[in-house]
This record gives sequence, structure tokens and C-alpha cells, in this order.
Amino acid sequence: MKLSRALAVTKKQFLTIRHDKRTLAMMLLSPVMAMLIFGFAFGTSPKHLQVIVVNNDKGGLASEYINKMDHDVLSISTSSDVSVSKDKVSSGDKIATIIFGSSFTADASPTKSGITPRGPIITPAKGAHINVYLDTTNQQLSSVVSQSIAKGGQDLAKSKGSKSGVSVDVSYAFEKAKDARYIDFFVPGIMAFAITLFTTLLTLLAFVGERVTGTFDRLRVTPATETEIVIGYEIAFGIIAAIQGALILTVALLVYNIMVVGSIALAMLFVILVAIDAQAIGILISAAAQRESQAVQFLPFIIFPIFLLSGIFVAVKSLPLWLQPFSYLLPPTWGIDALRDVMLRGWGLEHLWPHILILAGFAVVFTILAIFGLKRSRNQ
Amino acid sequence: MDKKVVTFSGVVKEFDGFKALNDLSFSINEGGLYGLIGPNGAGKSTAIRIMTGLIKATEGEVDILGYKPQDADVRPLVGYMPQEMALYQDLTVRENLEFFGKLYSISKKDLKKRIADLLDFVELSKWDKTIIANLSGGMKHRTSLAVALLSKPRLLILDEPTVGVDPELRASFWQRFEDMRADGTTILLTTHYMDEARRCEKIGLINHGRLIAEGTPKELLILTGTHNLEDAFLSLARRKKEAKS
Repeated sequence: MKLSRALAVTKKQFLTIRHDKRTLAMMLLSPVMAMLIFGFAFGTSPKHLQVIVVNNDKGGLASEYINKMDHDVLSISTSSDVSVSKDKVSSGDKIATIIFGSSFTADASPTKSGITPRGPIITPAKGAHINVYLDTTNQQLSSVVSQSIAKGGQDLAKSKGSKSGVSVDVSYAFEKAKDARYIDFFVPGIMAFAITLFTTLLTLLAFVGERVTGTFDRLRVTPATETEIVIGYEIAFGIIAAIQGALILTVALLVYNIMVVGSIALAMLFVILVAIDAQAIGILISAAAQRESQAVQFLPFIIFPIFLLSGIFVAVKSLPLWLQPFSYLLPPTWGIDALRDVMLRGWGLEHLWPHILILAGFAVVFTILAIFGLKRSRNQ
Repeated sequence: MDKKVVTFSGVVKEFDGFKALNDLSFSINEGGLYGLIGPNGAGKSTAIRIMTGLIKATEGEVDILGYKPQDADVRPLVGYMPQEMALYQDLTVRENLEFFGKLYSISKKDLKKRIADLLDFVELSKWDKTIIANLSGGMKHRTSLAVALLSKPRLLILDEPTVGVDPELRASFWQRFEDMRADGTTILLTTHYMDEARRCEKIGLINHGRLIAEGTPKELLILTGTHNLEDAFLSLARRKKEAKS
């Protein structure tokens, strides 16, 4: 082996990178971006989780309890109407409703019920309890809320010198999802992520391939319009995505026995919408790549934001407030949210039509941009 | 008066300040066989890309069969064979032809007949089910020509159509071009085979984005006092350079 020849290869590679400024920029930017997003996504614990307190307590103990809760973790609003508050949990607006009964203080205190020669008759405290109406479809958030409620009770008991805490009666907004495991929460996220990744990559490589081999120019001198080309690709990748989604779902059902409370067909519709968004993104990005090698460099900029910000691992509501708007700019965020609503909450079109509109809106905007991008190259 | 199929009038094309075409003017009559001849980088491919509507001229006027090159209505009337193969490598010969045929909205029955005819012409009937990636360079070129002929175009633009084609088949290509001309098809081609350029009805010699001479092969030889088109081109290029300095 001659080291000089090996070093010649090394030098050639660095020269290539030096001449390709985009590669250089990507090489430096992608790890920095990955670490920053990773740090923000995983480095912060959930905060500002929205719960409602219905305080019917005739004493003052419930107020003390509420004050003991961590107000950084829980964003507490109050209501006097139990039914309305529960509806807000059932509709996904809030994670929990915490209900203090009218006898909360009384139940926590021993009472004098008479006098005997030996002294007063003391009836032991019944034991205070609260009712919590909880949404468990997002395990990460519901467990943080549960822990915060429990800790508030423990801190209150400690401050009163009581050994017994406050018992918590939990009822579930989505009864079927009360036994949801982490994988049940995780699979919808992975479905949307896998479809986004495959579809973006396939479209990106297909379009760059069309440009590199000259077939794209050949297509454009035929009567086929840019709109027809993009729509043709959308149909193809929509079908491929549906097959991939069906395979992922089948494996998840057969091997991991995941929970699907709602309609599988509706879940597939969301998979297809996510795929259409992803392929339009792929076409958009392909305009900036001259070669396949350049196209691949864009992938970290797709994968990391989606992986870390769209709610696959970390719930969007757990992210720092300033980062959350970026999450909602990513189509998979809406896809994952909708898939979880279908699979864990069992929601149908009556609840999820806004998600369909948003994903379709992304698809329309990205498709128009992709078509516009292709047409623009004719005017260069 | 002859009907013009292609007209370039004072066409300029700039790329980042570089003039790839500089006041290029020429025209092709209906049924003509026009050869655009010049060295690499002369501007031939840029002219073709403008003609096919793939890019737009920075200045000047271009007319193709009475349309602007970017009009959608002109596309069914133009056949284009690019210099690179521009075929789907993972599809078979027949699948490529069927795909492009559908883009031209050719009926199923007509398409089947045309494909059979074209496969016979490019001598690929036995290879119709072969994946393009597995074909030789010449075979890919022949498939590419077949795709360009699919729509029975009124204007056929061929960028280096006979590269990698053996002499016998090349002769058959030229025969086909002559037959198409006789049927009224107008053909523009680029080639660096000067002996082939002699077969064109008219030649435009292009250098540095400008047309340096135009005429029949015979006229160009007489004009330069040379015996072949290669020498004619070199002589004309030298004269232009001297006139400039």
C-alpha cells in the first residue's frame, strides 16, 4: 500500500468539498442544527400543561392544595361547571379536569360529634379525595399531570403534619385508551415519520434523477404540463404511501398489538395526506439540487426537525413555547396528531376535519409551489 | 414564398453575464433539413433549448410553427431527441415508448402500430422487453430516436442523433430523415460528423453564439475555397477572428 495514493484520494475529496460550497455549508450546519433541536426537544421537561380546576370546596383546603401544585408545570384555569370542564378534556383542549367536592376540607379534618365524660367524641377524618378526569392518550403528558396532582397532595399533607395524603379518583376521558402503552402512543408518530422520510427521499431522488438523466427536459417538451407531472407523481406516491402505511399498521397490529380505537380507513387517509405533503416537499427541495449527492445532503434538514419537533417522541405541548410554532409548520405534526386522535381517541371526521383541511392546505400550497418552481425554470 | 417553420431573430441568451448566444438569426423553411454545426460550447445546445421552450431567450424573437416556443400548443408538433439518452433506465424499450406515447395522447391502437413500426426501423424489435440500463450505448440512442419520432412531429429537433450508431444504421437513419422530409417534416440537427453535415440541405455554422456563415454545403465550400466542411468551418472562424482583431 502506498500512503501517497491514499492521501491523494483524501485530498481529492476535500477539494471536491471545497469546490461545492453547498456541501460544505450542509456538513457544518446539519450537526449544529441537529444538536440544537435535540437539546431543545429533549432537554426541557413539559411545562404549561393545561388543566381546569373546579373548586366546589366550602372550606379553604382545596385552595391550599391548588397553591401547592407546580404552576410552572400546570397551567391552571378555573371553572365552576364540571360538565363544561369535562367536555374541554374530551375535546382535547385540556389534559385534565381536577374536581374538588364541596366537603373536601371537611373530609380531610376529624370532627367532634358529641361529648362524653371522658371527653369529646372525635370522628376520624373520612379522608379527602379529589376527582380527576384525565386524557391518557398522550402518556407523557398525562403522567406528568398525574404526578403533579399527586405531589400537590403530598406537599399539602406534609404541611399539615398529616400522614395520609389525598386520595385521587381518576376517570378517563377516553375509556378505551386508559390502558394505552407507550408503543400505542409511539406508532402513529413512527408511521407519519416513516412515510414522510420514504416519500420525501423517493421524490427527491426521482426528480433529481429526472434532471440528471435529461428525462425531465424530455418530459417538458411533450404536451405534459408541469401540473400533470406533479399530480402524476402525487398519485403514485400517494398509492405507495398507502401501501407502506398499511404495512406499518399491519406489523404494528400483528406484532405489537397496538391500539386502534377508530377507523383504520381514516388513519390511512391521513397517511396519504402526509405522503402528498412529503412528496411536494421533495419536489421543492429537488429544485435546489443538481445531483443525487447534493439531494441527500438535504435530508438532515428534513429528518431532524420532523423527528424531534413533530411530536413523535416529545409532545409538541412539552416543547418550549417559542419552539411550538415551528412544530405546527411541519405537516407531519398535524398528521401525527390526527393519527393519534383516530387510533387512540377513536375520533372520526366530525372532530378531525380541521386536520384534513390543514394537511390538504399544506398539500395545495406545496404542490402550487412545486409546480411554480418547475415552471419558473422555463423562464431562466 | 417558403413557409418558415423556425425563425430566430437577433436572439441573445445570457447566463450570469456570459452570452451563450449573441445576436443569433437564422430560419428554416418547411420541409428543410438544417444542420447547426459548430464546436463544443458554440451555442448549439442553447439554441435547441430555446427552440424547445426549455429556457427563454434573454433578447430577440423566436418563432416555431407560428407559436412562441413556450406555448403549450406547439409541443405536440415538435419532436426532440436530446444529446444525452434521456430515457428511463429502469423501464424497458417498449415501456419507454408507451409512456412517451401516452404523454402525446396517441390512441392505444395507433400507439401500438407506431411502436411496432419504430422498433422495426431502429432494429430493436427483438429487444423491446429489455431494460434500457442493459442496452448498449447505440441501442439507447436508437430508442431515444424512436421516442422523438413517436408523435409524427412537424418539426424534428435532433441533437447529435447519430453518435454511437454504426455506419449501416446511420445510413438507415439518414434515409428515414429524407423520407420524413419528403412527407413535409422539417428537421434541425446538430452534428460534429462533417461528412454527415454534407447531407443537410442547408448548414448554419455557429461559433461563440453567432452564426458565422450559412448556406448549402456546396455554397460554403465555394465561399471558403475548401474541399470539406471541417476546413470550411476553420477558415470561416479564422476570418471572423481576424476581422474582429
